Amino acid sequence: MAERLGQVGKLLVGIWLAGVVVAMFLVVPQYEGLGDAGRIIIMHVPTAWVSVLAFAVSAIYSALYLWKRRPEHDDYAVAAAESGFLFTALATITGMIFSQVVWGVYWNWDPRQTSIFVLLLIYAALFALRSAIEDVDRRRQLSSVYSLFAFVTVPFLIFVAPRMAESTLHPNCAFIQGSQCDGITLEVGKIGLLGDRKVQLLGLEQQGDVVTAEVLVSEPGLRDEATLRPSFNLASGEMVARPEFPGLRYQLGLEWADPATGSALQHIEAPGTGLLENQRTLFTFLASIVGFTGLFIWMLNLRASLLGVQWALAQREGARP
Amino acid sequence: MNSLLDAGVAIYVAMAVALSVWVSLFIYLWRIDSQARELKRQLERERAKGTDEQSPAPPRATVTRVSAAEPERETVEK
Repeated sequence: MAERLGQVGKLLVGIWLAGVVVAMFLVVPQYEGLGDAGRIIIMHVPTAWVSVLAFAVSAIYSALYLWKRRPEHDDYAVAAAESGFLFTALATITGMIFSQVVWGVYWNWDPRQTSIFVLLLIYAALFALRSAIEDVDRRRQLSSVYSLFAFVTVPFLIFVAPRMAESTLHPNCAFIQGSQCDGITLEVGKIGLLGDRKVQLLGLEQQGDVVTAEVLVSEPGLRDEATLRPSFNLASGEMVARPEFPGLRYQLGLEWADPATGSALQHIEAPGTGLLENQRTLFTFLASIVGFTGLFIWMLNLRASLLGVQWALAQREGARP
Repeated sequence: MNSLLDAGVAIYVAMAVALSVWVSLFIYLWRIDSQARELKRQLERERAKGTDEQSPAPPRATVTRVSAAEPERETVEK
């Protein structure tokens, strides 16, 4: 009975994720500034979240192994770590595709990219450690301890580091409350940072209700400079012109301006910000998280079961004269 | 080839590619899953069989009583 239920569950995961793929292309609307590239969020973020879940499960089973010394707990710990590594790699690859569309490069050592790369290295070291120790008990003990320590870094690398970074182009504001989402207020002549772009407010000019700012934008490393002119309507309180940063899909917005004091609030309008405000996108996104969690549970059980079978076969071979 | 990349068609092409990747992955997982289950069952059967073979046989003893008057042989098997 339990086996039959399991089979039905696996079939459901297959159909559910196929539905998510169809919805990603046909139900989720295009996002302004991103076009079809915004759809990748339906794969990118859930895979990253499921990888955190997988690493947490790996740490729990590692602790259980250290407590009860049952080999199947070690099998589950390894299976979860492997699944986590796979999902992290998927999140990285989908993020790189997004980065190519939005930033113009696959990789630019953005804080978020750097932290996920470090995470991949930490878990790659776990597998290297396991393959380097021949004694089975010692391998299980050491890798369990390592897995627990590795998991301590996960919340920091996934949640804390990107929030601490003041210079990131990752659209954190779409998902992470408390990120650097408030823009920057500058007085005329002052310099500040928006993402990893240096901005300098050169001047403010008022025509009727519309205030136009003249902003000098410098590329990272001060390679190139460009002058952008975002504007703001004082009467309606809305942004008017939102010019794009050179070579990027990011826009410079003027959220507030006071010509009397010569100060203005500038904001980087990152594509992806507010993406989940659309109901169709939100529901597809949640469905994707459910689907990937189901897939993870299936993969975890399958891999742990394979490791168990492998161990049983090795024991049988060893028992033979 | 270029017609596949037209704005109206490209999204369906991308969806078909993503769907076929997922369907292939699903079939692969399903097959490995059923093979693993079969292997596990086989191992359990073998283990059960091995346990049967290794279990000790019921005790057997042969008692021979020899009478001095009339040689008689009685065998009792327990």
